Amino acid sequence: MPAVKVKFNAAKRNAEYANKTPAKKLTLKHYSTIRLTIRAQPSILNRMVEQSSQPLDAVFRALADPTRRAMLRTLADGERNIGELAAPFRMSFAAASKHVKVLEAAGLVGRRVMGRRHVCRIEPAPLAAADEWLRYYQRFWTEQLERLDALLKAEDRAASKHSKRRRAKR
Amino acid sequence: MNEPGIVKVTYSFSASPKRVFDAWLNPETTGQWLFATPTGKMVRVEIDPRVGGRFVLVDRRNGEDVEHTGEYLEIDRPRRLVFTFGVPKYSPLFSKVTIEVEPAAQGCDLTLTQEQVPVEYLSSSEKGWTGILAGLARCLAESA
Repeated sequence: MPAVKVKFNAAKRNAEYANKTPAKKLTLKHYSTIRLTIRAQPSILNRMVEQSSQPLDAVFRALADPTRRAMLRTLADGERNIGELAAPFRMSFAAASKHVKVLEAAGLVGRRVMGRRHVCRIEPAPLAAADEWLRYYQRFWTEQLERLDALLKAEDRAASKHSKRRRAKR
Repeated sequence: MNEPGIVKVTYSFSASPKRVFDAWLNPETTGQWLFATPTGKMVRVEIDPRVGGRFVLVDRRNGEDVEHTGEYLEIDRPRRLVFTFGVPKYSPLFSKVTIEVEPAAQGCDLTLTQEQVPVEYLSSSEKGWTGILAGLARCLAESA
């Protein structure tokens, strides 16, 4: 799968999203192939929800469709009109337009009308929020399970000590 | 490759499937690890382990109470547990968590998947029920 570079060309929007901190350059190999190494604070969730203007479930619903993911990959290379987005799929303009509307509703795509042309561009902020959500929870659940494992092992150790003592008494 | 919006974690335990499964639903055990933080203190553990029952686990962190809550959707001991989960303090969103426990040569393998659930589908979300009940009330009022 080709690597996708998401360019932060809408610097203003990103600065707003990233809580007034300078916009970071974001490179996503693929939105659904997430590298899970970064530790996020719980407060990040708060920030994610407040600052991503679209609920994440709309984002994930939009990303669940392979055609829409392919459209986003195309848009990551630069702006396209709806006809250009439809071309690789041999789909009608109307069908492509429907997909674009779902992406738009999720905040993943913005649209500019130039005369009769509708030019679409990628909006990376919701993708970053979705990515953050996944990373945070992957780490969160791994930590929970590690703690459970440690607890069960501690119980085992306590039980084996106890039975050794009992055997020694006999 | 993960599906978009789905978190998947697998973990191998040396303990039996029953012990691992029960650790999710026994208040004494659960409060010691689930949603607990190393520096926090678990101040409230309520578990109603039946389908439709709810759980509330409150961890006190630096004097701040963080409530984890949800509702059990499926309980199939010791194989499968499904519940909704949210931390209202941090997010109005709830997600669905599925725990699957498979026996292994030594102990068991646990697979956890978490997916976001659109708020409107959640029976435990106030929005869901309030909306449904308000609709019912309107229907009744109109037909009266």
